[in-house]
Amino acid sequence: MTTENKEKPKLKMAVYWGAACGGCCVSVLDVHEKLFDVVAAADLVFWPIALDFKYKDLEAMPDGHIDVTLFNGAIRNSENKYIAMLLRQKSKIMVAYGSCAHMGGIPGLANFSTKEELFKRVYFESESTLNSEKILPEPDFKVKEGDLELPVFYNDVMPLNKVVCVDYYLPGCPPQTERLLEVFMAIVNGSELPSKKSVIGAYDKTQCDECERKKTDNKKIKKFYRPWEIEDDGETCFLEQGVICMGPATRGGCGVRCIKGNAPCRGCYGPPPDSPDPGAKMMSAVATMIDANEDVEIDKIIEDIVDPAGTFYRFSLPGSIIRRKL
Amino acid sequence: MEEPRIGVYICWCGTNIAKMVDVEYIAEEVKKLQNVVVSRNYKYMCSDPGQDLIIKDIKENNLNRIVVSACSPRIHELTFRKALENAGLNSYLFEMANIREHVSWVHTDRKEATEKAKSLVMAAIKRVGFHESLAKRSVEINPASLIIGGGIAGLTAALEIADTGKQVYLIEKKNSLGGNLAFVDLSFPDLSSVKQILDPKIEKINKHPNIKVFLNTEIDEIFGYVGNFETKLFENTKSEETLKFGNIIVATGLKPFDPSVIPEYAYGKLPDVITSIEFEKMLKEGIIRTKAGKEPKNIGIIHCVGSRNNKYNEYCSRTCCATGLKYANQLRDALPEAGIYELYGDMRVFGKGCEEFYTQTSRKDIVFMMFDQRNDLPKIKANTSKKDFNMIIEINEKLSGEELNIPVDMVVLMVGAQAQDNAKDISHAVGISMCGNAFYIERHPKLDPVATTTDGVYIVGSCQGPKGIIDSVSQTRAAVSRILGTIAKGSVQVEVTTAVVNEDVCCGCQTCISVCPYTAISFNPEKNISVVNEVLCKGCGTCGSACPTGAIRSRHFTDLQILSQIEGIMSLELEEV
Repeated sequence: MTTENKEKPKLKMAVYWGAACGGCCVSVLDVHEKLFDVVAAADLVFWPIALDFKYKDLEAMPDGHIDVTLFNGAIRNSENKYIAMLLRQKSKIMVAYGSCAHMGGIPGLANFSTKEELFKRVYFESESTLNSEKILPEPDFKVKEGDLELPVFYNDVMPLNKVVCVDYYLPGCPPQTERLLEVFMAIVNGSELPSKKSVIGAYDKTQCDECERKKTDNKKIKKFYRPWEIEDDGETCFLEQGVICMGPATRGGCGVRCIKGNAPCRGCYGPPPDSPDPGAKMMSAVATMIDANEDVEIDKIIEDIVDPAGTFYRFSLPGSIIRRKL
Repeated sequence: MEEPRIGVYICWCGTNIAKMVDVEYIAEEVKKLQNVVVSRNYKYMCSDPGQDLIIKDIKENNLNRIVVSACSPRIHELTFRKALENAGLNSYLFEMANIREHVSWVHTDRKEATEKAKSLVMAAIKRVGFHESLAKRSVEINPASLIIGGGIAGLTAALEIADTGKQVYLIEKKNSLGGNLAFVDLSFPDLSSVKQILDPKIEKINKHPNIKVFLNTEIDEIFGYVGNFETKLFENTKSEETLKFGNIIVATGLKPFDPSVIPEYAYGKLPDVITSIEFEKMLKEGIIRTKAGKEPKNIGIIHCVGSRNNKYNEYCSRTCCATGLKYANQLRDALPEAGIYELYGDMRVFGKGCEEFYTQTSRKDIVFMMFDQRNDLPKIKANTSKKDFNMIIEINEKLSGEELNIPVDMVVLMVGAQAQDNAKDISHAVGISMCGNAFYIERHPKLDPVATTTDGVYIVGSCQGPKGIIDSVSQTRAAVSRILGTIAKGSVQVEVTTAVVNEDVCCGCQTCISVCPYTAISFNPEKNISVVNEVLCKGCGTCGSACPTGAIRSRHFTDLQILSQIEGIMSLELEEV
């Protein structure tokens, strides 16, 4: 890190969140003491979770003012979309940061419901809700003091690339801090960046390539288990033990952390190149592993997969081919 | 990728398509699409002038993609691919939209049929833009052949091939040649001696310089592909020998049905209830006696044992009816005074000379009785009274509607045919498929009945389904002519629409390996990737859809090609909304 290099102008960087849990912003903070290197090399010109900026500050910036924006979170409402478009306009490089911006992520599972179903559940039915007047959020609401505005809630959760042009994708839930630093330093040092629209901070090969568990071609499953239902030997491929592991459909780059912690891969790093729908790919693969020929037996085995849609499309539904429930 | 310049041709198929689909309208409509340079409709695209139209357009308009919208690609895909080749274009830069079988023949509303045809044409146009040139490949043929099974089919095949001067390896798991026929006395319908058919063949084979026979030998694993197979044999589990050969004939035959599972027939409980196999042995020895050593006075012959009944085997075993009639003839000759009863479900003696054989037999004082083969089998019981017969057959005679008791001293069960116990092992070894009854599946039941989906592997005789000598020998000679044809040619074209592994992405999970029906995929532990043997691969696409990584691409059926095809269909609907 060359903090002494006075001639080099500091990078202008922004971090913003759409529909997200906040974990991605925290992962940026997770650089720990390296944060000093980051702030030495970059000025954070917009980062609402950590520093006090207003929309108007952003609106006032000239176009292309920001060098790099790390946008995390999916697009759920009109506010997410507006700021995403604004940041795109103000930024030279737009990075979809984390699973939600990349493919829709966990909030994207809401696409298995319609907006009406979600509102009904959240505002009328949930156990902790008292709403006898059946009030729903209104985008425009007049009170004595004036007009109030709320963002419009969309029917669909969308990945970032459905509303703006994305330069790079940095996957993960959240992205591993080491990968972020590598990417950040590459930008700071002016290294040649990969071609636009590519995934950075992850490998082309999937988890299995790094996974040290023993793998064979004997993937025959008579019964599916959830991880806590088996005595994992810590050595055998999860799939071969009947535990659904998204590893073969998921890029490496996280350091196979879940698997090393004896938990199957959940798929947050997204699919390898040229594989647009990891959920479909994995379902199709798992279907070939079912060790039965009779319909009844096959049905029985499949029933053991709890929440198949949420399992296979946990991070990727809005970015997949099916996108949502119709 | 080069910019697609697409030519689209909508065929009338005389009135076959044109009467239900507005071909002129579609040709006009698709003209508006991006990359469509030429769009025409023509009365018969498959005719020479039709093909010349394409060739001329390719040359004059520099077309690099062709869509023909006509009948099923099963009928004319090859025709048009040839036309592309004649115009100097790779034949895979072509797509066919089936608007005859899939549209005009199955719809009655002209407007809707036209819209459907249009969307199929749009799909083909979208797809063809992503087609890639594929290079044809061929492999050389080793002129030696492996024949598995030393029954009548295997023996015939061995001699036919060896007599042309080519090497034959004949494998038989038992310690002698002849198969099931070796235990048969006479053959139907002419009652000629089986021994006279079989013995000269076996003798000739044993002396033949081009035939090497391996007895007591089973096939474990066969490696390679058409033209270049290899196996290791362990004869008598002693000496090991590596064989190399270019083609395989599977002639593993059948095994008889075990009737002890049918409670009504009391086989194994009543000593004088015997199978046709056991009876055949008596005929061969020339002594027909009950277990007690007495000459039987009344004999029952029960048909369809284990066949044509959902509880056992649903299929017809094909040879038992005629064999049952053969027994009646032989019994009548041997025991002129005996009562002979043929108990049958339906009499199925088809084939040349067989109906006549039935008629002749029925004139020899034989009693024919019909029963309900599916729901009401006759019952064989021991005779407990002191009368001079040891069993009674109770039958609900279907034609008379009467319940009858037939006194008998001997019952012959016409046991059906079943696939061999090791049918699955053989299917794995040679890479062919079995139907639900474990008989082997031909490539096409009508158009390619002795080939299999694995090139260079042929199935003949009863391993493909129960059959008699005549059919077995016909099939064998058909397979032999196929093999001699490929040997004469010296090389064969192999499939080019194969699967290919992207080594940069494959993670070595090995999901693909066990799903491949052609054992074409293996694991390379050094590179930690799967490898497709492109000669074995038939391009079925199973591995491509099983691959969770998206590392396997099925050539000519890539995700991009299929998704763009879907897009072509969907885009039309979106326009209308």
